[in-house]
Amino acid sequence: MKIEGEYIFDGPREAVWKLVRDPEVLMKCLPGTQTVNKISDTEFTGEVTVRIGPFSGAFAGRVIVSDEVPPQSCTLTVEGTGKIGFLKGVGSIAMTELEGGKTLMKYGGEAQIGGKVASVGQRLFDSVSKSMAKQGLDTLNEILKSSNA
Amino acid sequence: MEKKLIGKRIMRNEDPRLLTGQAQFVDDVNLPGMLHAAFLRSEYAHARLVRLDVSKARQHPGVVAVFTAEDMGKDWFPGPPLVSPPPTVEDVVFHSRRQVPLVKDKIRHAGEAVAVVIAENRYIAEDAAELIEAEYESLPVIMNIEKALEADSPLVHDDLDSNLAAQLSQKKGDYEVARKAADVVIRRRILIERGAAAAMENRGVVAQWDAKGQALTVWDTTQAPIPIRNGLASRLGLSESQVRVIAPYIGGGFGPKIMMFYPEEMLIPWLAMKLNRPVKWIEDRRENFYATTQERGQVHDVEIALTRDGKVLGLKDDFLHDTGAYDPYGLTIPINTQCHAMGGYDIKNFTSEFKVVFTNKIIVTPVRGAGRPQGIFVIERMMDAAAKELGIDPVELRKRNLIQPDAFPYEHGIIDQAFAPLILDSGNYPAVLQKTLDAIGYEKFIKDEQPRLRKEGKHVGIAVAPFIETTGIGPYEGARVTVEASGKVNVATGIGTQGQGHFTSFAQIVAEQVGVKVTDVRIVTGDTAEFHWGTGTFASRGAVVAGSAMHAASSMVRKKIFTLASKILETPEEELELEDGVVRIADMPQRSISLGELALLANPLRGAVEPGTEPGLESTAYYGPRYGPTAFGAHAMILEIDPDTMMVKIRRYVVTEDCGTVLNPLILEGQVHGGVSMGIGNSFYEQLHYDENGQLLNASFADYLLVGATEMPHIEVHHVETLSPLNELGAKGAGEAGAIPVPALFAQAVENALHDQSVEVMEMPLSPNRLFELAKS
Repeated sequence: MKIEGEYIFDGPREAVWKLVRDPEVLMKCLPGTQTVNKISDTEFTGEVTVRIGPFSGAFAGRVIVSDEVPPQSCTLTVEGTGKIGFLKGVGSIAMTELEGGKTLMKYGGEAQIGGKVASVGQRLFDSVSKSMAKQGLDTLNEILKSSNA
Repeated sequence: MEKKLIGKRIMRNEDPRLLTGQAQFVDDVNLPGMLHAAFLRSEYAHARLVRLDVSKARQHPGVVAVFTAEDMGKDWFPGPPLVSPPPTVEDVVFHSRRQVPLVKDKIRHAGEAVAVVIAENRYIAEDAAELIEAEYESLPVIMNIEKALEADSPLVHDDLDSNLAAQLSQKKGDYEVARKAADVVIRRRILIERGAAAAMENRGVVAQWDAKGQALTVWDTTQAPIPIRNGLASRLGLSESQVRVIAPYIGGGFGPKIMMFYPEEMLIPWLAMKLNRPVKWIEDRRENFYATTQERGQVHDVEIALTRDGKVLGLKDDFLHDTGAYDPYGLTIPINTQCHAMGGYDIKNFTSEFKVVFTNKIIVTPVRGAGRPQGIFVIERMMDAAAKELGIDPVELRKRNLIQPDAFPYEHGIIDQAFAPLILDSGNYPAVLQKTLDAIGYEKFIKDEQPRLRKEGKHVGIAVAPFIETTGIGPYEGARVTVEASGKVNVATGIGTQGQGHFTSFAQIVAEQVGVKVTDVRIVTGDTAEFHWGTGTFASRGAVVAGSAMHAASSMVRKKIFTLASKILETPEEELELEDGVVRIADMPQRSISLGELALLANPLRGAVEPGTEPGLESTAYYGPRYGPTAFGAHAMILEIDPDTMMVKIRRYVVTEDCGTVLNPLILEGQVHGGVSMGIGNSFYEQLHYDENGQLLNASFADYLLVGATEMPHIEVHHVETLSPLNELGAKGAGEAGAIPVPALFAQAVENALHDQSVEVMEMPLSPNRLFELAKS
């Protein structure tokens, strides 16, 4: 499954970068996140409850951040397993400054999904991933705006 | 003897009970103290099992036991090979690798069973299964059968040098000579993809061990209860007489239920003995997609050589066949494909080599045609390509090549799936084809209707596809017919029934000989306690083989009836008549004796049974043909397609079927209708989609499209009866006939409909998306 999109943040790039690299912030943003643990600056684990069609379940996951070029870009490698299936993915984010103190984030990646959820939920992946991304990025933007104010 | 019952359109004996929910299916079996099993199945298609911790599952309240491969100890071993390679062909390569009860170290397809949980009920068992901690090391997944044979491909079975499971070549005449003599040689690549059987009833096993009586009873949704009984007895160290396997009413077989020694079939009886409590496992639909066998992935490189006026000189068909993770069913399916690749045509030169390839997908065993539809698809597509190339009408081209009525028995000189010579016993192929052409109005449609519709901008196509079907193969079946004191007749045979109407068609065969009403014949199928010897229901052989055994046994009983009645009534046999359960003297009808009374007299309480005779009015007979009869048919279809959406509507569908003697037209039509619905599914709606990691992407009926009433056309069924000389009934099989030519027919119809877009279909199944892509390219 391919995931890609763009988002415009109401704040400067350095601020967005700082938030993205903060595990506690991510916990507030990613819908369904129950816990996030920082193992190191570049490695996090956590638990996320996801609902896809008839399935909902907890995924125990690990995220590794690499190829960092702050505050511009980085690569994220994700792995998660749960009762409803498993997921492996690699994605990247790239941010550029826009006029008026805004930031454009472009993101893209590929995920392999397997198990129960893959065999029944295929048609829903696209819409679920888009809505999760939008919800997460909107929340991040809100946090960005309130921290600037 | 004039036929009173055979050939009559008699309502089915079994329907009142089936329609009112009174028939017993495996899930209806409920025993005191029964426990329920649920499986933990691998989600990875190819992985090493690194760690398996079932301790939390064992502690779950309501769980009685959890077993892994290690817990089975020396009782863990793979299932038996079901079919060995043909001894009569040289240079056969065959690596036998069979499925295991539970994964020990390596997972080879998604859905392989890793552990089994036994609990008070299925809900608890499934909840506990989720508590099992399994760690997998995922391995690169082998999905594509061509890539799987490349030198650097990862291996499904590490103890082999490659993913080649088997290889076999067959030859007839000399294709190279034919090719050189030909005016036209046409080459194509043909791709065929997988589908499921999707029987209405999923699989299930219930097992009960009676420790005091030392007897094991197993209810199993199998098409082959006797081989299951024999195999279980062997695996469990019991005598065959200690094991009773019952295949009760089964909601559809279609092939996967003839696959034997599924992991669950090996485990559930073992668990019942181990735990000394009855155990039940019923497959749910999602499990069925992963745990029950599938069919059909093949890649063909075909060549046909013809003269300018359309005579086929030779055919070459080399292909790859996907067997999935294991190959318990040997070479049955690809050999069937080879045997049908020449269709019903007089092709004197043929060469075909196939390679069977292991992949990380679910196991392939016979499903809906067992390889025959693929062979017919190949030859029919090549005939259509040749017709276009030579500028000859496609029907005319076929007529010029059909085997003629005086050519039978027609020996191909290659072997079939039963290792018997492929000999087409009888038929009148041109007459069957003509009947279909007349019924669909082929000439008129091509000349008048189609041009008119095309002027109106409609895309309506017509297609005609003839086909052969090898049926009724050995090794044998048996039957025992008994007239009881009540005057009713009890019959037992070793095969099982999955909806084919055996309780009626067999009763007709018996009643015809024994002179009773069809409703007075009780047929028992699928119970190893009732009949010991036999093979199973598959390869369109039930009516031909078991039916022939029934015919033989009932004829012997008829003789006994006349012999005894002649003695009792003191009248020569020729002067006696048998009708409605009574034997009477033809000229003095008031002097008679009922079959019930005769049965009592045949089993005396005093006096003696003469040496060399048996008590009772009972006989057992076996029928074992050297080779089976070949049925023939021709389907035709008029199809409209919307070129914008690529959605189809079948306007007319005609079938002419020659399966020799028709036992019951009502039942035959049911078989044809069912087959056609599955054929239409395999042509346009049903395809199993795997991703590159071996995950099934449409493992539910939400996304795996079965044909419904809205997709089905009205099917007009016609008959031609060329009796088979191979059995006394003159019958040929018809179980798979409805499904076999449909993909070929569909491809032809679609091409004909999209006449202005020069689409060529060399793959199956199609879909609106795929057709759109083909039309654009």
